[in-house]
Amino acid sequence: MIPDELAREMESHPAVGPVFKRLLLELERADDARSLERVRIDYLGRKGAINALLQDIRNLPAEERREVGRLLNLLKSRLEQELEIRLERIRERELEESLRLQKLDVTLPGRHIPYGTRHLISTIIEQIEDIFLGLGYRVVEGPEVELDYYNFEALNTPEWHPSKSLQDTFYVEVPGGNYRDVLLRTHTSPVQVRVMESTPPPLYVIAPGKAYRHDVPDATHSPIFHQVEGLVVDEDISLGDLKGTLENFARRMFGEDRRVRFRPHFFPFTEPSAEVDVSCNMCGGDGCRVCKWTGWLEILGAGMVDPNVFSYVGYDPERWSGFAFGMGVERIALLKYGVPDIRYFYDNDLRLLRQF
Amino acid sequence: MRVSLQWLSDYVDLVVDAEELADRLTNAGTSVESVERVTGGWDGCVVGRVLEVFPHPRADRLSVCRVDVGGEVKEIVCGAPNVRAGMLSPVALPGARIADGKLVGEAEIRGVRSWGMLLSEKELGISDDAEGVMVLEEGMEPGTDLHLALGLEDTVLILEITPNRPDCLSMLGIAREVAALTGQALRRPRIQVYEEGPPAEEEVRVEILDEEKCSRYVARLIDEVKVGPSPWWMRKRLRAAGIRPISNVVDVTNYVMLEMGQPLHAFDYHLLKEGHIIVRRAEPGDRLVTLDGVKRDLHPEDLLICDPGGPVALAGVMGGELSEVSSRTSKVLLESAHFEPSGIMRTSRRHDLSSEASYRFERGVDPDGCLPAADRAAGLIAELAGGKVRPGAVDVRARSVAPRRLELRVERAGRLIGITLNKEEASRILESLELKVVGISEDRLRVEVPTFRPDLEREIDLVEELARIYGYQRIPATLPRTSHNVGFLTREQRLRREIARVMAGCGLHEAITVSFVPGWWLEVLDPERRHLPPQPLRLRNPLSEEASMLRPSLLPGLLEAVRFNLNRRLVDVHLFEMGRVFLPLEGRKLPQEPLRLGAVLTGRWLPKPWDGEAQDCDFYTMKGILEVLMRTLHVEDWELESGEGPPFLHPMRRGTVMLEGKEAGYMGTLHPRVAENLDIPGAEVMEVEVAALVEAAKDLPPFKEIPRFPSVQVDLALVVDEEVPAAEVERVIRSAGGDLLREVRLFDLYRGAQIGKGEKSLAYSLVFYSLERTLREDEVREIVEGVVGALAAELGARLR
Repeated sequence: MIPDELAREMESHPAVGPVFKRLLLELERADDARSLERVRIDYLGRKGAINALLQDIRNLPAEERREVGRLLNLLKSRLEQELEIRLERIRERELEESLRLQKLDVTLPGRHIPYGTRHLISTIIEQIEDIFLGLGYRVVEGPEVELDYYNFEALNTPEWHPSKSLQDTFYVEVPGGNYRDVLLRTHTSPVQVRVMESTPPPLYVIAPGKAYRHDVPDATHSPIFHQVEGLVVDEDISLGDLKGTLENFARRMFGEDRRVRFRPHFFPFTEPSAEVDVSCNMCGGDGCRVCKWTGWLEILGAGMVDPNVFSYVGYDPERWSGFAFGMGVERIALLKYGVPDIRYFYDNDLRLLRQF
Repeated sequence: MRVSLQWLSDYVDLVVDAEELADRLTNAGTSVESVERVTGGWDGCVVGRVLEVFPHPRADRLSVCRVDVGGEVKEIVCGAPNVRAGMLSPVALPGARIADGKLVGEAEIRGVRSWGMLLSEKELGISDDAEGVMVLEEGMEPGTDLHLALGLEDTVLILEITPNRPDCLSMLGIAREVAALTGQALRRPRIQVYEEGPPAEEEVRVEILDEEKCSRYVARLIDEVKVGPSPWWMRKRLRAAGIRPISNVVDVTNYVMLEMGQPLHAFDYHLLKEGHIIVRRAEPGDRLVTLDGVKRDLHPEDLLICDPGGPVALAGVMGGELSEVSSRTSKVLLESAHFEPSGIMRTSRRHDLSSEASYRFERGVDPDGCLPAADRAAGLIAELAGGKVRPGAVDVRARSVAPRRLELRVERAGRLIGITLNKEEASRILESLELKVVGISEDRLRVEVPTFRPDLEREIDLVEELARIYGYQRIPATLPRTSHNVGFLTREQRLRREIARVMAGCGLHEAITVSFVPGWWLEVLDPERRHLPPQPLRLRNPLSEEASMLRPSLLPGLLEAVRFNLNRRLVDVHLFEMGRVFLPLEGRKLPQEPLRLGAVLTGRWLPKPWDGEAQDCDFYTMKGILEVLMRTLHVEDWELESGEGPPFLHPMRRGTVMLEGKEAGYMGTLHPRVAENLDIPGAEVMEVEVAALVEAAKDLPPFKEIPRFPSVQVDLALVVDEEVPAAEVERVIRSAGGDLLREVRLFDLYRGAQIGKGEKSLAYSLVFYSLERTLREDEVREIVEGVVGALAAELGARLR
């Protein structure tokens, strides 16, 4: 509190010395706020020890009076500072002690805040939408209960095609009417026709939605499933553009390191047609059970819009060309997230829903 | 389609290995599903020559053979009746393993030591013939490994043939693809027929009565045939193709079908009346027992092959049992015809009967292929069954088919594919597929399409051929060059995502339930159809009665999901779904498909924490969620109107969701009776029209100035009659409170001893402020007095 030299001076001073020594002693003993306050009152108070000594200096000779006065004033200001410091130190200690009593087990679980999830199928549809939004596409929709015309005829599907049978397509009974051509769409492709009918080219659209097929549910079939259809019509669209677009999509969806393969295929409403595979992520393309030892996973069907389809909607096939593609959302979910059974998606088992 | 590479190499040199070939075919559109290695499934067997045969000293039916197994002569005991000296036969030496996995050893049979065994075809697993030991053809060296001797080691490609490529349903068709893809030449089989005897037309007459369904019928007559087993090479090839060998005559028809793609049928000529073939549709009363032994009633649309006595075959699908070739057959009428695809498809479906023949006819067989196939088969029958082919084919043609001619604009084709293509390359590709370029002008090729490619009808079909053979993998990947496409979500699409996100954010899990529901749901929810449509849409061909109705509401699916989870002891279920429901529209074919938002809560909302109490889901939990939703969408004008509501809700705990004064849905507690019927403990439910939410949502909530002057809060505890709705109290407070009253919040509801029976106490906290100045205490007091006065006057409320 006081530099050594000064302390020695005070200590050895006949008048200040005893008070100073007592003060040092009491100060050391004061270990809480209350006893410090006591010290403050006892020494610095109006009737305190220092004031009492100051009263006494009147009786001293002049030069001694000055000396004692100087010492006492120094002591006073130093003591004030010291008390402040000690008080602060004690408060700190007391706070620490009280905090110690507030100790929590931070490993206990937190309060339950309700949280929900999106369905994996919805999430994947949004992912697909976002990829194509970035490529300049818009999202369009069409009805799930459809007419044969849109689902088959205008898509160049011959009248006798097996997919039209009662074993493949659900037909709908409309109350008050006996129609044979109302059905649950078997793919999202009819949206293509509807959009082209109502919108002049150029067109860059995708159409996500539900589709239905007369399949008894098993691990890979569901009577209800989701598809995303894509359609581009513009001047000078080429098979190369389809390839570039879908490669882009496949890498964004499945990973930049995936290889993409285009194989010629057949669909009634595209010509030329293609099936698109991505390299298998389970085995890295070496062959495994998931990819049936081929190293490839089929993810979508595509092709250049057949000129017949254009003529159904009144587009001039000499001026416009385009491509279309369709993919199964459940299949993508199976491949990307490893969900092994398509039926899981419609059970709505909380143990599945909570995972994604 | 199973393609043996051994067989395929008859028609084209295979210059790449099986894997590479599989890749090239796959990349050209003929997908190879798998590559199968064929071996005999046995081990350690060799060719042996039987030198001598002695009777077994102690067994009548056994013989002891001395067999040359290559440099060594072994004694082998044999029980086969056909064993004779001089024959070549397969031998299993001690240590060999035969087809059923059995290990062959040395054995002593009734006192005679046997060094191995002579094998039947059954023991080799190559047919069901266990009658005697297999007789090998001359020319094989004793001691030769049997695999080598039989030429059994082979590779089979399993191909997926798309429906547009019927030409690929034959070895020659695949060979043509392979030739085009590997730059090799195609070799056709040499067709040779030696004809003898009187002309066929003297004994065969063919009449086509339905020219629409049958454009051509070629018949050939082969006399003096001896029906027996086919030689090994043919049986081997049929087996590799997945067809069971039957007899030389039948095997030839199958062999030529596999080779050339033309289905053939062999009749026992003597079992046909007058050698007279009539092709016609079924007439009433026509019946036929097909080769599979099924007696079939025929449909007037079925095309039949008949003789004057009635049907003898279901045209293009299956022959009849009565005219079947058998071991007694000596004279064969061979049919090679062309039938119209869709008729065959319908007949095949109608009878639930498909065959290799119908499979090909359905997809389209080369209309010009009848005659060569008939000749090829007649030649082979003569060769293998020792018959004599009668001169001339009886060839009745309803119409002739000219090869199609197409124009190809080469530059345009290149642009559609995305490559630069010149006339030379285009011609080269087309001609490699046996398309003929018959004219070249400026930028155009005139292309003649052979009749075996019915799928090539238009210019665009040629473009596909060019792209396919050029190779999809070689086409540069580009993006459309145009710049006038701008991608965005519509307002509705954006808000739908927002709604789903809010619901999930509130703690609900998104469900997707199926659109089909059982009809009984309507009875459970709304037997009098006060809320749901009286006649929902139904499926004409549901998978089951349980999935026969198209949902008119999201509720059944959501409650079904609750039940599913409860059955698995997952009792706290909080679900929402956004999906379409189906409501019939009077006088319209297609229904309305409004998108709805539905939600269901059951069990606990908050599980019991370790230091407190669990909180159950109740009416106000769901209402709170609805409030968050409205708040996030900035829907200002909405309320839950009490009173009427769907009959499946608790009559005292339900409300109609009103958006901008219009009905938009419902919310409430499931009626306890409904819950009991469904065997669930109870649930809070709601269903709202998404379109109404979207319409009521505010995209641009107006900015409200934040006060700079202190606000004044006043709490009021009011006693009102139990019947007075809280919304009424709040409405009166707000209207009497005027502009300076900015917030009204209910913070307590009390019923009990401190107030009268049939009364409740509502405590509100009122916040006043002005944007211009600090409010004076007396002016606030004055407003509050006004509010209290209005409450007393309008609702009989008093301060507590």
